[in-house]
Amino acid sequence: MPVSPRDPTGDPRLAIPLRPADFLVLLVLAAGARHGYGIMQDVEHHSEGRVQLEAGSLYRTIRRLEEEGMLTESARRPAADRDDERRRYYRLTAYGRAVVAAEADRLRALVRLAEAARLLVPDVG
Amino acid sequence: MPEYERLRPRDRHEWAFRHLLRLYPHAFREEFGDAMVEFFRDRLADVRGARGPIGSVAIWGSVIMDTMLHASLARLDALRRTVARVFSPPPRAARAARREDWMLSTLRQDVRIAIRGMRRTPALSALIVTTLALGLGANSAIFSVVNAVQLRPLPFPEAERLVQVAMQDPYFNISEGEFVDIRRDSKTLSAVAAFSGASITLTGDDVDPERTESTQVSERFFKVLEVQPMMGRTFSAEEERFGGPPVAVLSHAIWQRRLGGARDVVGRTIGIDGALVTVVGVMPPSFRYPPVGSGRAADGVAGGPALWVPLRLRYDSLWGRNNHYLSVIGRTAPGRGIADVNTELNVMGRSWKAQYPDLYFPAQPVAASVRSFRDALLGDTRPFLLSLLGAVAFVLLIACVNVANLLLVRADARRKELAIRSALGASRTRLVRQALTESLIFAIVGGTLGVLVAFGAIRVLVALAPTDLPRLQDVGIDGSVLLFTSLVTIATGFVFGVAPALAGAGDDTNETLKEGGKTSTTAARGAGRTRRRLVTAEIALAVVTLSGAGLMTRSLLNLQHTPLGFDPRGVLTMSLTPPAPTPPLAVAEAAARSVQFYDLLLSRVRAIPGVQSTAASQRLPVDGYNAWSILVNGASAARVADAPLATPDIVTPGYFATLGITLVKGRLLEATDVASSPFVVVINESMAKAHWGGRDPIGGTLRVRAEGRPWATVVGVVRDVRAEGLTGEVPRMMYFPYAQSEYSAYYTPRSMSLVVRTSGDPSLITAAVRRVVHELDARTPISRVTTLDALVAQSVGARRFSTALLVGFAVLALLLAGIGIYGVVAASVSQRAYEIGVRMALGARAGDVGSMILREGMRTGVIGASLGLAGALASATLLRSMFYEVTAWDPTAMGAAVLALLVVVALASAIPAWRAIGVDPNKTLRAE
Repeated sequence: MPVSPRDPTGDPRLAIPLRPADFLVLLVLAAGARHGYGIMQDVEHHSEGRVQLEAGSLYRTIRRLEEEGMLTESARRPAADRDDERRRYYRLTAYGRAVVAAEADRLRALVRLAEAARLLVPDVG
Repeated sequence: MPEYERLRPRDRHEWAFRHLLRLYPHAFREEFGDAMVEFFRDRLADVRGARGPIGSVAIWGSVIMDTMLHASLARLDALRRTVARVFSPPPRAARAARREDWMLSTLRQDVRIAIRGMRRTPALSALIVTTLALGLGANSAIFSVVNAVQLRPLPFPEAERLVQVAMQDPYFNISEGEFVDIRRDSKTLSAVAAFSGASITLTGDDVDPERTESTQVSERFFKVLEVQPMMGRTFSAEEERFGGPPVAVLSHAIWQRRLGGARDVVGRTIGIDGALVTVVGVMPPSFRYPPVGSGRAADGVAGGPALWVPLRLRYDSLWGRNNHYLSVIGRTAPGRGIADVNTELNVMGRSWKAQYPDLYFPAQPVAASVRSFRDALLGDTRPFLLSLLGAVAFVLLIACVNVANLLLVRADARRKELAIRSALGASRTRLVRQALTESLIFAIVGGTLGVLVAFGAIRVLVALAPTDLPRLQDVGIDGSVLLFTSLVTIATGFVFGVAPALAGAGDDTNETLKEGGKTSTTAARGAGRTRRRLVTAEIALAVVTLSGAGLMTRSLLNLQHTPLGFDPRGVLTMSLTPPAPTPPLAVAEAAARSVQFYDLLLSRVRAIPGVQSTAASQRLPVDGYNAWSILVNGASAARVADAPLATPDIVTPGYFATLGITLVKGRLLEATDVASSPFVVVINESMAKAHWGGRDPIGGTLRVRAEGRPWATVVGVVRDVRAEGLTGEVPRMMYFPYAQSEYSAYYTPRSMSLVVRTSGDPSLITAAVRRVVHELDARTPISRVTTLDALVAQSVGARRFSTALLVGFAVLALLLAGIGIYGVVAASVSQRAYEIGVRMALGARAGDVGSMILREGMRTGVIGASLGLAGALASATLLRSMFYEVTAWDPTAMGAAVLALLVVVALASAIPAWRAIGVDPNKTLRAE
């Protein structure tokens, strides 16, 4: 049986590059489980308002990443207060964590290249 | 049901969002619906907190966009999943799949490049899309009319076998005796039926009397058409006989409206002209044959009669052979065509003539005129609709040329980009395909918007269309309109895309790159030539459209300036049918009662403020044909065939004054011309000329050719009136006084048209006239309330409608041609800025440069106009049948078309010429 490039059991490097929105969603979840609206708020915050997710785009992304085995619905809820029964929380899978790390690595390599080409000043901080 | 659907929404926003969610596929909604509502609730709360109630409205834009996009994508996902499940490809197919994948991916790439290109020049793209949307939308709209009226199959099984049988002049229709012969003897027709229209009054105790149309039909009428009743049955042979039981088959419309759609209607009775008639069946809503009245009659009959009653035939009456009043339809026998039917009927005609020499005109043959149903029902509309379709197609072609030109301008600007892509290894085919993809995308976007344009345009068209256009109520956008639009859209994309695609890909890469993408090369000049040719073609098309519109306008003006012989302005008309007296009276007494009724009515109407004069007449000018056999000056005619024909009207004395028909000689009818005084008649000029020649007709006599009818003395001659519509001949008319009609004109009609001349707006007194009628007899139905002006206008309605549309299209064509030539001249000026700079630096005067550029534009204009003129003559010859007193080469129309075009060309070239004069040679030369 041929191995699908996005096989959750396979090499995470086969799953990259990621779409920018996917990367941001996974990145946000790397910090802990979130519900849909929480993901959206964090993504907007991290991207400095450049990426805005509406319900449709967010949940289609979630479904796709779930099918690809990168995230899953979380059984544990962070806090019981102000929590609605209907809220669904999502967390990264081990594979998802590996993929987002591989993507970050890829981006870092690219940034290094840009720095070597003197397009960017190396960030010394 | 997902939970979110069960919960009560917290407010209107949430309620609306829940409804939007229905756009997602079911499975997606099941899984995420609740979470999405939750998401929306949070978002709404945040926005309200930050920006107040206005914020909650402001987010809807992005929510709707998001839902539209992702609901569609989620549906695509679902589809892809299903497809993948069904066709998981076996390994051997993998190669083909990869190739398909590659093709798909290049297509995707092409589309992406195209969209990127469009976004880079938004104004140009918008102009292109708008041009296309208008052109395609106009085409869809006109096609939807053509489709509904002409192309859709007739609603009868095997409709191609249905024929309408008629006689050539002077008989036109079929008589009862002839019909019975045809029905008995014809071998080429497997079934034959006859029908005749009759106005009736629907009566009843509890409802207002209502005037409407019925059709009397012979026994096999429904059988010939092969239609079944929705309920009950149709007529039997027994019911066709004279004195058969009173029965009726109802139309769906009248069943619904008059009887409330009662299920148990079969077997019940309805009142027709005061008599009780048993309902035996109800027809389905789709059955509306034969067409009566107007396409969207206010009485809800919608094109067909309100009901059908049996035609009562008197098989043995000789009179029945002379009265040609039946319409006859038939179904051809297997293997027989229209020509066979025609031949057979002509043979029958010869035998009738031999058998009854007294009844047929000796000098003229009895010749049949058999037409297919399609021709008979829709034939008249064909030339008008085709000319509209032609004009709108021309507009689209012109729009295509303009779009092609706009794309060429852009291709010029993108020459460098293409050269680079070609240098990087993009094949020429790929570049052409890329350009075509782009034009197809433009076309598809334009076509989609065009359908929206068509939706609006159809409403306007249907509202403005003449009411006598058959099947008007069926006009709309259906599958075939969409198919037509798609095909035309794709064809359009190729038509305007090919020239720019080839021009763009044809460059010599090295040359272009060397020049840095500037546009002073031979290639650019080649593109300029292409554009000039395109504009020449465009101008030619515009001239054809313009001249067609010009010829139609001339025809309409000629028609409208045709002297009517009467003055229709400010005249209100309505049809009245007082009920028959109950219990029935002797004929003479009934006639006297009718005369009394109208006398009283007219005197009361005359008393209404604003009424100048009023009268009643049996028919109105523009109404239609009817002719009686008469005898003149005491002559006798042993045979009907020897008696001349004249058209009768039965009028009250004020008729001529009310309609403004002027007296030429003698006197008009007077109130003193009553039943007990000497019988008199007034004739028109055509009649006087035909029967009295140069002699004085006053004092001459005439009478209808029937036993025991008195001679009437001609007391006056009035001017000719166009009594058969504007395009018809002026008939020989004789006007009988209403009070004497029982004796001198066969009978005294109860149904009359009231004509009321008013000093102001005739519609203002309608209510008052109605009141007077109802005070006199509340059971008198009033119908066809309109003005004489409107009736005259209606008789040219179809022509006015198509002429207005043609003129609209022609103006559009002219405008587009103007834009086209402007684009070409302007581009050429900017290309030649350097040359112009040199000329001016060398001392050329501004006037010389300006006139050089103007000349260039005009040269294109003149060449295009000459080509167009040739095309105009050819197409006008095709359209000849639609012109009225205008020749196909009418110099006024043709001259006006060419002149209008040249003026526009001059204006369109003057603007760039003016700009060229303003060129500062120093600047241009330094810029190089």
